[in-house]
Amino acid sequence: MKHYISYAALGAALMAQPVFAQDVTLQFWDNQQTESGLSDVQKAAVDRFMAENPDIAIEVTTIPYPEYQQRLLTAVQGGNAPDIATLDQIWLGAFAEAKAVVDLSDRAAEAGLTRDQFFGGAWDSAVYEDALYGMPFNVDVWQFSFFNQDLLDAAGVSSADLSTFEGLRAAAEKMTGDGKFGVGLFGHAGEDTVAVMNSFIFSNGGEVLASDGSCALNQPEAVEALAYVQDLAQFAPNGILSASSGDMRELFLNGSLAIEFWPALEQPTLKSSEINWGFVNGTAPEGKTPVGTFGGWNLAMFESSEHKDAAWRFMQFLVSEEVNGDVVDLIPANTNAAETFLAANREGPDQIMAHLNNAKPRPLSARYLEIADVQMRLYQDVLSGTNAQEAADTACGEIDAIN
Amino acid sequence: MTYKDRWLAWLFLAPTLVLLAVFLYYPMIGTFVESFYSTSFINPNPEFVGFEVYRKIIASREFSEVLWNSVLWTVGAVILQNILGFSTAMLLNQGLPGQGLLRALFLLPFILPGVVTAILWRFMYDPQLGLVNSLVVRLSDAENAVAWLASADTAMIAVIFTAVWKGFPFSMLIYLAALQSVDREQLEAATIDGAGPFRKLIDVIIPSVSSVILVNIVLTLILTFNYFDIIWIMTRGGPQDSTHIFPTIIYETGFGQFRFGEAATYGVFSILVLSVLVALYAIVQRTTSNRRATS
Repeated sequence: MKHYISYAALGAALMAQPVFAQDVTLQFWDNQQTESGLSDVQKAAVDRFMAENPDIAIEVTTIPYPEYQQRLLTAVQGGNAPDIATLDQIWLGAFAEAKAVVDLSDRAAEAGLTRDQFFGGAWDSAVYEDALYGMPFNVDVWQFSFFNQDLLDAAGVSSADLSTFEGLRAAAEKMTGDGKFGVGLFGHAGEDTVAVMNSFIFSNGGEVLASDGSCALNQPEAVEALAYVQDLAQFAPNGILSASSGDMRELFLNGSLAIEFWPALEQPTLKSSEINWGFVNGTAPEGKTPVGTFGGWNLAMFESSEHKDAAWRFMQFLVSEEVNGDVVDLIPANTNAAETFLAANREGPDQIMAHLNNAKPRPLSARYLEIADVQMRLYQDVLSGTNAQEAADTACGEIDAIN
Repeated sequence: MTYKDRWLAWLFLAPTLVLLAVFLYYPMIGTFVESFYSTSFINPNPEFVGFEVYRKIIASREFSEVLWNSVLWTVGAVILQNILGFSTAMLLNQGLPGQGLLRALFLLPFILPGVVTAILWRFMYDPQLGLVNSLVVRLSDAENAVAWLASADTAMIAVIFTAVWKGFPFSMLIYLAALQSVDREQLEAATIDGAGPFRKLIDVIIPSVSSVILVNIVLTLILTFNYFDIIWIMTRGGPQDSTHIFPTIIYETGFGQFRFGEAATYGVFSILVLSVLVALYAIVQRTTSNRRATS
């Protein structure tokens, strides 16, 4: 009987605790890009936000990358968009043009969030027609050239050679043969192909689109870079037109590939492997600095959200210096958070920061996906031996027609 | 049929008709309507443009490639699938020892889901690690493995082979059932007349099952033209669009690039081709029934 009385007293005491009414429930969608176990850390951050903001509840939905774009698109079309979602940098233009996401320019200015707190390229990727439609969330850069030190040593190649077009070609030639391949180029129809090929073009001083929006892929700098990659492809594994960065990773990890092209995101995988690895920041002609292609995600607030003020509070929390590093699996877009994150999680943090600060975003166009589709075809044509100038002229005709 | 029976028949048909109308005919009509509008994710307010999207698509290099690929894919897979299915059915119809086991083994590819088949064959075709290339290199003294899925010259052949591997048991089953109904007395008479196996095949067996062959060919034409999984998983329509067929281009245009109007237009072309095939199927069915009724 005594026990029952104790339990009843305990129950009454618990019921007497103040209950915080969660007036607002925000839907937050994010994509699961890696298997880093990030969701636990993310969950802790979300719990912290809810503890600090008892009037707001957050429901996080994590969707695998291959399904993510389609799920978001269907949700927006069906009027069921979440309050906040991460958007790939290359999608933001389309979502902004469709008026599906909120212009955050005034809110950001009011909150003192400015471009200099983030990587410039990441901030620019959230700007569409002079308005800010997203908060830079996480970033990375294509590509770092990860190399197998043992294969380099065996061929008498110095890692410094890989930073130049000429050095990379010579090194790739030396390391190709006996079942080994010099360079992990890939050419399947995917964004990783576009990002890597762009970086060769950027590093040679070329552009995808000129400042007036016209196609610049048939300009001399871009064509020269395309011809260079076409020549380099002879030192890549057989069958690159159907290969992705993931396929090259498999070859790199089994020791049959000397150099693979990946963002810094690759480091955790390499750290857990037995490969004796190192990396350099992409590659460029002698005397030029390698320029990478930005990749990453922005946080966007949807027009259909009924809780925009609460959503903005959560967005500010996620991109803050204290939190940004805990909730991303790439590199935090907040530069101060990135420095802390890189020092704790990546080899060569200064080197990575330098490459990030020098990277360029892909074209900021509402029709980016159509442009990228033409680019993929161009790169496949070039990698399969079509004359680079002719292929680029055809591609530019199609891109200019789109624009 | 009495008036009452007719009513009852319509009553029983009604649920199916309603479901068909809601889930098939309504979207189909919607697709036709949408194909006359310029609609995309970035331009969600439909703008009537008449045949402009049709003109744009027909003028594009993609359309002629997709059309040619669809013909190659469909005809190639259907012919090979039916030849292999018929040959296997003939083999299984011989009363060989272990026939039950053989039948089960031959059926295995058919019961595998298309996605699993595609992943399996993608791995088999891998230029570095795949089984197909290790056999080719071993048997032909070739120095380099063939990158089956990475060349515009071989990718279509590779996906057709996969489709045939997956689809031939379907034809085999149908042909096996048909072969078991071939008149034994006619076969024995042909044997007595001195006909060899080839003559018996040409003069007795094929004429006896010709209607089944026709129906099977039309059915597999429809199924293959509409097949999506294998090509999407294995090549995504590449390389250089060399394996893009109507279902893959519709998916990529609509869900990959948010161009709904153009995807709808490709869908209309696809519906037109399928309508012709379905009409062909109906004609073949009717001819077959009439032939049966008169014989």
